Amino acid sequence: MKKKITMMGILVVAVFSMTLFLGCAEKKAVVAEGTAQEQPSAAQDAATLSAAAAQEALNDINFDFDRSNIGPAARGIMKANADILLKNRNFNIIVEGHCDERGTSEYNMALGERRAQEAKKYLINLGVDGARMKTISYGEERALDSRSNEEAWAKNRRAHFLIVQ
Amino acid sequence: MKQLSKIALLTLTIFSCLILPNQASAKIYIDIDSPSFQQFPIAICDLNNISSGALQSTNIGVTLADEIKKYLSITGIFNILNKNSFLEKMEPGNPDIIEKVYFPDWSLIGADYLLRGNILQKGKQIIVDNRLFDVIRNELIMSKKYTSSSGNQKELAKNIASDILLALTGDEGEFNTKIAFISKSNNSSDIYTIDYDGSNQTKITNHQSLIMSPRWSPDNKYLAFTSFKEGAPKVFIKNLQTGAEKKVSAHEGLNLCGSFSPDGKYLLLTLSKEGIEDIYSLNVETMRLNRLTHSYSIDVSPAWSSDGRQIAFVSNRSGSPQIYVMDADGNNVRRLTYEGNYNTSPSWSPRGNRIAYEGRVYGRYQIFSIDTEGNNLIQLTFDNADNESPSWSPSGRQIAYTSKTASRSRLCIMNANGLNIRILNEKSNPSVMPVWSSRFKK
Repeated sequence: MKKKITMMGILVVAVFSMTLFLGCAEKKAVVAEGTAQEQPSAAQDAATLSAAAAQEALNDINFDFDRSNIGPAARGIMKANADILLKNRNFNIIVEGHCDERGTSEYNMALGERRAQEAKKYLINLGVDGARMKTISYGEERALDSRSNEEAWAKNRRAHFLIVQ
Repeated sequence: MKQLSKIALLTLTIFSCLILPNQASAKIYIDIDSPSFQQFPIAICDLNNISSGALQSTNIGVTLADEIKKYLSITGIFNILNKNSFLEKMEPGNPDIIEKVYFPDWSLIGADYLLRGNILQKGKQIIVDNRLFDVIRNELIMSKKYTSSSGNQKELAKNIASDILLALTGDEGEFNTKIAFISKSNNSSDIYTIDYDGSNQTKITNHQSLIMSPRWSPDNKYLAFTSFKEGAPKVFIKNLQTGAEKKVSAHEGLNLCGSFSPDGKYLLLTLSKEGIEDIYSLNVETMRLNRLTHSYSIDVSPAWSSDGRQIAFVSNRSGSPQIYVMDADGNNVRRLTYEGNYNTSPSWSPRGNRIAYEGRVYGRYQIFSIDTEGNNLIQLTFDNADNESPSWSPSGRQIAYTSKTASRSRLCIMNANGLNIRILNEKSNPSVMPVWSSRFKK
């Protein structure tokens, strides 16, 4: 019963996304390509990853200063991340949004959430079930690199994909 | 019973009507809001010890005067004259000298105002009898007697300084206020409070987690804030008397604390439960939530106007974070700031006419203030540091903020015109998000 409902949910989301992106030919193609190819290949690659291996395989994406859009460099990473999530449906993820140390902590808390939301939405567009994903913002409070320079800031402006069982 | 209180109210109203005209005409001696405001020179004499016996030789008159000077100087509006420059010779121990002022001796050294007083120590009691003079006009401004227990000298000095401020400016100042702020260490942060004079630093929370955005309730009885102690950011309200904490907002995604309405009934929040960071108003009694903004952009950091009719907030709807103002029901949104491409952290002056905020200039963050029509922009800080999170004092005369460089973090207070910066504390780990309380009842 539960499964049926989930399946229906996925179908509804899929149909909904299709209608949503009807106006955007390029994105529609990505979605169609993603869902059409991934499912059979998931069946072929029966070897699903362990949670630890999947965590290892998921990569962060980075953002420009004060921006939350998924840039060209991040799109390839997001496609690979989506593939992993589509092939490994036995775990959920938390999408973490982070900012660099510059600017206002409070605004950065909202900006981090926006980044997490944008990343989540992008994964949904690539076919990943939204119900598997939660978002959390850490704003500028959890830097990967504590230095104060361009290199560190670029690394710290990120979305991280954390696997939860 | 109800009738009784009605009669009392009526009596009070009539009485106020009788005295109000007098008050309205009462002279405000120092207009510190004038653009040409300069610090006012005041001479504080050591209090004249008129105690009998051995108590006459104590230096309590000197130490109390020093305390009064300390409190007056932290208001940022007085220039306390050095007592070594005083010319008039006074006969110590003679109670009459406080009334007999030779004004030319005081105007000659540049004093505009003069405080003299007698102090009498009787057992554990201290009785102070003060006179405040206007040196230019050769007249008495205030005469007041204080009785206090001898252990409470600091409180006594605070009250005297507060009365001087009230007599000269029409406002009692900020002596009975605190500033709450976040102190960060490693991966956790907690709320602390500190008194206006920089003393009495107290740890308020102990969540071993990330805490941010503290906000006082208007009666100072509660602090609302966002804490990650349960993993995700949720909003709590802490009762400062009992220490009890109540979780008031735990929606999926972001729950970021905004500010209390002036009547204390509503708490503004930033929530992302609909997938977009928007501003909501939470009725803290009924827990009813009302969405105020609906833009497809970040809306954050809401700050109520002192009359409760409007809300300032940050939005990036134009592509970069800017300060906006809307009516309290979410209507009539208008953009306030156009200078620069990063303006955040609005704080609405209790006087109602200005909004302070931080803006990015040449890669640094500086404090600005602007009037509520978006005109008369003033930059208040200029040093080579990140100056952030302005919060007005209850009188609207001073602004608390943080000032950070690579090596140190300061909690500071400056006058509303940017002058007279005073450092409340300095640490190596960051102090952030200072918020000024209202006045605590004496």
